[in-house]
Amino acid sequence: MTEKPQPPAIEARHLVKRYKHKTAVDGISLRVARGETFGILGTNGAGKTTTVEMIAGLRKPTEGSVRILGLDPFTERAKVRQILGVQLQGAYLHGSLTARELVDLYRGFYPDPLDADEALTMVELTDKARTKFDDLSGGQMQRLSIALALIGRPQVVILDELTTGLDPRARRRVWATIESLSEQTVILISHAMDEVERLCDRVALIDAGRVLAHGTPGQLREQAGAVTLEDAFVALTGKDIQGDEEED
Amino acid sequence: MSEAVHARRPGPRAWLKLIQAEAKMVTRDTAGLIVPLGLPLLILVMQGISFEDLGVEVAEGVTAFSVFLLPVVVTMVVATIAVINMPSFLATYRKTKLLRRLAVTPASPAMVLVAQMAVSFIQVLLGIGIAFGVAMVFFDADLPRSPLVAAAVLLACCAAMYGVGMIVASISPTPNSSVAIGLIAFFGIAALGGMFGPAENLPEPLQTIGSWLPFGASVDALQHAWAGEPVDPKNWLVLGATAALGAGVAAALFRWE
Repeated sequence: MTEKPQPPAIEARHLVKRYKHKTAVDGISLRVARGETFGILGTNGAGKTTTVEMIAGLRKPTEGSVRILGLDPFTERAKVRQILGVQLQGAYLHGSLTARELVDLYRGFYPDPLDADEALTMVELTDKARTKFDDLSGGQMQRLSIALALIGRPQVVILDELTTGLDPRARRRVWATIESLSEQTVILISHAMDEVERLCDRVALIDAGRVLAHGTPGQLREQAGAVTLEDAFVALTGKDIQGDEEED
Repeated sequence: MSEAVHARRPGPRAWLKLIQAEAKMVTRDTAGLIVPLGLPLLILVMQGISFEDLGVEVAEGVTAFSVFLLPVVVTMVVATIAVINMPSFLATYRKTKLLRRLAVTPASPAMVLVAQMAVSFIQVLLGIGIAFGVAMVFFDADLPRSPLVAAAVLLACCAAMYGVGMIVASISPTPNSSVAIGLIAFFGIAALGGMFGPAENLPEPLQTIGSWLPFGASVDALQHAWAGEPVDPKNWLVLGATAALGAGVAAALFRWE
């Protein structure tokens, strides 16, 4: 008997999201293999967050389809929620609860969660267990958000603007946490070139709601004839990564 | 071929954790507790010491204080929590994307709504308990002569006020606007329902309007329960219709984000 092939971690086909006066995503297709760390790179307003919100089942596409490990995030929502961990850009938590209380709260949502101490240790917040979320620093909040995204032992993790606004030391600590994820498929949305270059196996460059290029960071540099990924981005999009300040 | 995943909804432990979390949020926001617990108590004490004839028996074994003042205080406790506090929590959660964060877990944002209501109800019982304790100790207040009817009216009042609260939460774009709209709604229905003095003292058109609003209907129904008289069916209708209207508006307009 031959085994059926396993579906990829994520398969997005021709995703389109149109609003009244704007097309935010214009036919994006992505295929992410299991265990891969995949970066989605683009300026603010390029359509990165809208794309991952459609992948996560938070925003219904105008056209196209998404499958996470073969499951439809809209019609098989309950199943997808158990295998997917998401850290949303700018999302807040119950501010008066301590780090430990938040971990306990989120543990309760999953059938086989990580141990609370293990989760706090993983993001180096053991000493902040009794600190309220509101009193954590930006980096600590971000690390706690990552811990909560991983608390249900997800097979696929989506991390949106992981280190935006963090100081260099905090960024490196967050990167170390991501690098320690060996079993999960990770989708990393960023406009930080160094972060994507360091963490991602493959990258999709998105601009104006479309994928302009995709491949390993090395392939993208080669394709653009550039020395750095940032130079490659500028060459392929004609834009400075930090230039556009539109809402994504 | 898709992954073999067994869809599992969060169980009782998750509900308990979420209710505990909401309760901690409420109790750690001490400023938010002052209005629902303090304002009704203030009205109770000020009215209690201002009027000399409140000790007069108006029905067998029940004083004017109990029949006329306690129903107003009970309704105030429910209204401040349901119409002002609860919508502001939901609006804050919406603005800070907390509900959205929960939407990507097996928990649904609707669980937060239910947990908020559960915690609000505990606050209601606490507020009524404090007010009633003060009334018993300092003003010789009486229990309602029809306690089961009073309990039923309290539940209907909670449903109606949560309905108003959900309308406030549905139409408020920001936490500040939620507090502003909640306060206007609260003082509007309370002023016409007898919070600042007997509704009978209001001009007749205002009396009529007040009697068709949930605060006035709740006060009138509780007064009858306290006096041991049957509750006017109109009051049940008003409370039930307000709850249904609130649920309908929330279903149509409430947004998690």
